[in-house]
Parts: sequence; C-alpha cells; structure tokens
Amino acid sequence: MRIGIFIWLALAVCTQAGGLEFTETLKEVNAGADATLVTTEFSFTNKGDKPASITKSDSGCSCLKAEISGGKLTYAPGESGVVRTTFAMGNFSGTVDKMVALWIDGDPADSPSTRLTVRVHIPVLVGVEPKTVKWDIGAKADPQIIRIQMAEGKPIRVTGVTSSSESFACELKTVEEGKQYDLVVTPRTIDAPGMSVIRIETDCAISRHRIQQAFAVMRKPSPSQLPVKP
Amino acid sequence: MNALGQLAAVVGISLAAAGGTYWIKGPPGRALICDLATLKPGEVCLEQISPDAKVLWVDARLRKDWVKIGLPGSVLWNLDPGEDMQTFEAEVAMRILETPRVIVYCGDENCGLSQQIADKIRGLQLGAEVSVLRGGWRALSEAGRIKDSNPKS
Repeated sequence: MRIGIFIWLALAVCTQAGGLEFTETLKEVNAGADATLVTTEFSFTNKGDKPASITKSDSGCSCLKAEISGGKLTYAPGESGVVRTTFAMGNFSGTVDKMVALWIDGDPADSPSTRLTVRVHIPVLVGVEPKTVKWDIGAKADPQIIRIQMAEGKPIRVTGVTSSSESFACELKTVEEGKQYDLVVTPRTIDAPGMSVIRIETDCAISRHRIQQAFAVMRKPSPSQLPVKP
Repeated sequence: MNALGQLAAVVGISLAAAGGTYWIKGPPGRALICDLATLKPGEVCLEQISPDAKVLWVDARLRKDWVKIGLPGSVLWNLDPGEDMQTFEAEVAMRILETPRVIVYCGDENCGLSQQIADKIRGLQLGAEVSVLRGGWRALSEAGRIKDSNPKS
C-alpha cells in the first residue's frame, strides 16, 4: 500500500516539475524621447527534469512583439533561452505596462502559466495642464489659463493654436520662449452648452509629440450647483 | 493485492467518478464569473450595469476587431501606432458631454490596455465617471450583448 501511495505521489510531483524559470518577469525601461522601438529581453532556463515547450505566446497588443530565441520553442533540462520583446511606442505616453502571456506544455487555453511585463517610462515633452477648462451656463465668463510646459532640454516653441469653435477665444502668451506658454481661453457666450477642441501645434522635432489638444466646455450646471428655491 | 493493483484501483475509481460526474452534470462550467470582492479600483462587473443604462462604451481592441464585431454604439480608442490619438480624444470628449458614464473594454481580461485608456479618458478632466469592464469583450459576449452572441449561463 505504501509503495502505491509513493508511486501516486511521485506521479503527481512529476506533473508539476519541468517548468521554465525566468530570472525576471518584470522589466522597467526608460525610453528615449525620440525612440520608436524599445527592446527588452527576458532570460529563462528549464529547471525541470524533462523537456519543456512554449506552445503559444500572446501580447494582446499589436504594439508588442515577442520572439523566442529565434524561433526555438522546446528546451531540454538545463537549457536556457531568451524571450525578446519589442514595443512600438507609437502613441503611448507616460508609464506603460505591456504584458506577454506564455503558454507552456499543457497550460489551459484560458490560463497561461507565465506572464512577462515590460514597464516603459516614456517622457512627456509637451505638457498641457489642465487638459480641459469648464464654465457653467449663466456663470461669469472669466478667462481660464491652460499652461503649456515643455520638458527640460531642447526648446520647443508653440507655432499655432486653433479652436474648433467660435464660441471660445484663445490667446497665447509666452511665459518663457521655448519653455512655457499660457493659453488664455475665454468664452464669448455663456448662454448655451458647447465645446471646443483646441489644437496646439509646436515645432517639436518628434512628430508624435508635436500636436497636443485641450478642450473648452460650456456645460449645464450640475444640480448641486443650482440655486435652491426658498 | 499488490501496489500496482492498488494504484490501478485508485485510478479506476477516480476515473469512474469523474466520468459519472461529467455524464450527470455535464462539462465543467467555463462561463466568466465576476467576483465583486476581487474587483480592482475603477473596475466594474457587467452585472452592475443595467442593459438600459446610458453608457459610453469604449472599445480598446484593434480597429479590425471593433469594426468586425464591436458593441453597437461603442467608440474606438486604442493605442496602436497607426491610429490618430487626437481624433480618439476629440471623439470621446464630444460623446462624454452627452454620456458622462464611460466603460472601457478590451479583448482579454488580462490585456491591461483598458486601464491605460481609462486613465487617458480620466486625464481629459471632463468629469466623466470612467470604469474598466472586468472580463472585457468576453463578458459582453457571454452576456449576449454583442451582435449574434448568445447568453451563457
């Protein structure tokens, strides 16, 4: 009976062994402002006692490609490999986490056993704050300021500002040439809801940072802001 | 009975029990279950959203998937390099004025893209209530909310 139990337990343990072990499953990268691709490598070793195969990989995003050691998918015990991920920065900004899921021998279709995360820090070259300025219908049409702040480094100038609506006037003021600008937005009318998309063009050498947007909104006051009847 | 015989007996009984369960109860349920207790901040379960609720659905999948089979009335916003972010921003901003309840979904509950899109929509500072749908497109599909899909029990 004891031998039977031992064999049973040994078989159970064998099903858990033989996995690929990664040295890291999270990698952080500081991307250059002009980078278009960020490549990261995840090393792994088969620490098990039988060959292990990567049967499928999925990044869930066309922006992230995963290549496994030049196409080699099966690894003998003790053998090592590399998962190389290439992230196309495209329109991402700020801090971005992208994940690659790996299915290894026998993983259920909806549950990969390994997830690798690439955390990319992308610099913001042209900061716009606040992104939206708002007024309530019937309130005072006081001007509001949208601050345009360039990142440290080479100066970036605002070359033009356009508003999609005549209902809002936009005036650009230079605080420090190439570094900081104030965009003064003033509603021309305060009696109807409306919205303007304000397009801010710069001479930034990197095309994806060149154009920024802000919004001006004239909205109905929320119920809590309406005057209470006596 | 020797050890191998005992092992065979145990395996046989286990298989018979499993087969019987499968025969009587059917295959294991694979329907997505959304546990309210495990929701991350900013996430919602589909069950919390009434089918009649006025919601701006934002599809964070690839354009080809959205065009092929997206939620009716949804708008697209993904982070693909080939897309124009300014257009996405403007479209969503316009729609938020009429529908300030926004829910983002992507193709896979683990894709993570929904959260990034939700952060971008919150960053517009338009005062919208923005959430991410737990389970993404699969939850919508299993609930029969996608065209040609049938509710799964």
